[in-house]
Amino acid sequence: MKKIKIPLISLGLSLITGIIVILLIGKNPLTAYQNLLQGSGLLPKPSYAGYKNMFTDFMVFLNTLTPMVFAALSVVVAFKAGLFNIGVSSQMLFAGFIATITIGYSPLNGFIAKPLVIIIGIMAGALLGALIGFLKYKFNINEVVSSIMLNYIVQYTTSFFINTKYIDVVSRQSKNISPDASLTLKNIEIAGLKIDIPLGFVVAIIVVIIIKIIINNTKFGYEIEAVGKNKEASTYAGINVGITLVKAMLLSGALAGLAGVTYYLGLNLSIQPRTLPTIGFDAIAVALFGNLSAIGSFIASFIITIITKGSAYMSSISKVPAEIASIIIALILVFSACGAYIKLKKGAK
Amino acid sequence: MSDYIIEMKNITKKFKGIVANENINLSIKKGEIFAILGENGAGKSTLMSMLFGMNKPDEGEIYINGQPRDIKSPNDAYKLNIGMVHQHFKLVSEYTITENIVLGNEPMKKKFGLFPHVDLKEANQKVKELSQKYGLQVNPTDIIKNTTVSTMQRVEILKMLYKEAEILIFDEPTAVLTPQEIELLLEVIVNLKKSGKTIILITHKLDEVKKVANRCAILNKGKLIDIQEVANISTQDMARLMVAKEMSFNIYKPTIELGDIILDINNLCVKTNIDVVKNVSFKIHAGEIFSIAGVSGNGQVEIADAICGILPCKGSIKFNNIEISSLSVRERVNIGYIPEDRHKHGLILDFDISRNAVLRDYYKPQFCKDNIILKNEFVKFADSLISKYDIRCANGAKTNMRSMSGGNQQKVIIARETSRISKLVIFVQPTRGLDIGARQNIHNEILRLRAMGTAILLISLELDEIMQLSDTIGVIYNGEIQTIKEASQLSKEDVGEFMMGVHA
Repeated sequence: MKKIKIPLISLGLSLITGIIVILLIGKNPLTAYQNLLQGSGLLPKPSYAGYKNMFTDFMVFLNTLTPMVFAALSVVVAFKAGLFNIGVSSQMLFAGFIATITIGYSPLNGFIAKPLVIIIGIMAGALLGALIGFLKYKFNINEVVSSIMLNYIVQYTTSFFINTKYIDVVSRQSKNISPDASLTLKNIEIAGLKIDIPLGFVVAIIVVIIIKIIINNTKFGYEIEAVGKNKEASTYAGINVGITLVKAMLLSGALAGLAGVTYYLGLNLSIQPRTLPTIGFDAIAVALFGNLSAIGSFIASFIITIITKGSAYMSSISKVPAEIASIIIALILVFSACGAYIKLKKGAK
Repeated sequence: MSDYIIEMKNITKKFKGIVANENINLSIKKGEIFAILGENGAGKSTLMSMLFGMNKPDEGEIYINGQPRDIKSPNDAYKLNIGMVHQHFKLVSEYTITENIVLGNEPMKKKFGLFPHVDLKEANQKVKELSQKYGLQVNPTDIIKNTTVSTMQRVEILKMLYKEAEILIFDEPTAVLTPQEIELLLEVIVNLKKSGKTIILITHKLDEVKKVANRCAILNKGKLIDIQEVANISTQDMARLMVAKEMSFNIYKPTIELGDIILDINNLCVKTNIDVVKNVSFKIHAGEIFSIAGVSGNGQVEIADAICGILPCKGSIKFNNIEISSLSVRERVNIGYIPEDRHKHGLILDFDISRNAVLRDYYKPQFCKDNIILKNEFVKFADSLISKYDIRCANGAKTNMRSMSGGNQQKVIIARETSRISKLVIFVQPTRGLDIGARQNIHNEILRLRAMGTAILLISLELDEIMQLSDTIGVIYNGEIQTIKEASQLSKEDVGEFMMGVHA
């Protein structure tokens, strides 16, 4: 109960502030909030297009949710080790790019291609994450600085290769991957509906449980947390602080890699050059909102995705600008951060 | 008009119930060098921080030039022409010496009569004049980060002089300097005095006091013991007055036969920025309490860290006849170690008791199987420590460490480090900041271990503790062991003199 108090209060305060803002622009906040749920497939819409209903909306919602879950877990693992992984976005992009050019454009069939996409995504993300950890361990380079720099490096190098080698001249994006490599089965006809089936979501649920166990029940989890909370005492305990940091960033990067492949080879089928996915940054808010726990950030991802996913429908139906959604998310972050601060102050007394 | 420039009357200051200064009366004459002597924690710095406006006295008054003054902040102090040279310099490392000195009070000039800007030329000139006047050699255009520690100190002094300070407080100014630099600094201090400044020197180095000071006040445990003309008192007497005279109640310590040599250290050297430990050698037997006495910062903590593998070292460390000096911390984890700073090193404050109870053992088979930690075993073990060592906590093994009192936090560390069957336990400042009851418990625990035949290394700044418990005492000064003797052959006064490096 104590654990979810701050997130609940943050959410409540943010929603109330959202109501005030929506009232100020002269719209009905209740219909606006209802629209958010409708847009996410959690409440029925008044009407649907052909082959669509609330269930298909919900599957689209899960598809959007999947990369967010992985990205938030990535932030959580880094946070546990006392590191601020602000490079989730570039780790995502790097993993998505590598998986796209190796498997996405290959003629492999689905049963081989899909697992390979996941494995390559994990490895590419882990590589980049471990690099950040290694720079910190070996040269004491602040992880925030190296992550931000890597964000730019990855953004521009991938964009160079996409523009010169893989560009689709019509869409100005990379060419679409083969459907066999996609982690989301698109437009599958079942019972008169066209459904997107996000296979990545199944993986996400398994990974949430694995990460929860790693953090709470393994020797490695104990070491990560000890290092994150007190490096000197960890050294005294005989923990190799540097190696632990590298390992934590490796795991964090691997999770970001999963976020990347479910985003670029699932939710989307192509990569927009010169653009970092905003999910990588939103994930920081989500992880904080989720109390920096695995299950917590899963729930937080769910709530935040309702707001982001439903905002398009809200703006088209109620004419409430979609930016309101960003305001609410920003407020959740502010309130969560305040809560964390209050907790810290209380703890210090 | 009184002839004293500073008078501190009935000054009392308490921090969280601990009396740092008790009813202190002190008067300082204009133009003298006044030394304030005392051990660590005697209350020297607290007393001066009140003069400099960083703390406010709970009781008592401060008179400057005969006027009662309420000094609320260092800015107030500057206005009264009081300046302080801190132990840790407060300089902008990217600025030049001149820029640092004039910062906050820059000579201004207007370009074309319109645009005000700092007149660096004039500033450099002023700094040059000041430095020549007082013999403080600096190059005004050097960047601070490229200069030496002693230059930075001179810059700090010039900063005070630039602000026209008449009273200069030096807080342990020689702690960071080499012997040659100390000589230069003492010369500077004498020069400053000659030009009419009043100098207050906070220190525990007696030879420096003897060299330059006119009078000295000796503090002990927050009380003013004596004020003397330096010419009339020997350094030995000063050392004696500095160490506590408190009645120490005796504790029952049976004589026991010494066992085998457990720890054998030969020519141990530790280098951090400077050589902190120089060629230290000693042996500890089973059932022996070996203490290292010394003023803080003389290398004793580094010895403990080196034994446990936290600091790299040269020389030989034999534990049970096995050379361990190149092993990792983990491979030496069977040496019990109660570190000096329980919050920084000994505990993870945001973990609960159970997770702290296994901090150095969590990976061992009884607590960890196939990389899965056995949390129930953590709790069981913590519960056993809680009942065995009478640890007071609100929620049992799940109590957050941060919410506990210092004494109980220390108990957790001691319980953890002594419950392991270990042939050697190192205690560094085990009773720091604890009340009498908690101290008594810890002393009993140390004696219990001794009775079981454990070798004990006790490192403490408190002479009382060392005198009460030790079988053998080694005194360290400046990284070197001055003497090693059986406790019965050393008086407290002797130890005090060795600690200050002035034993005849």
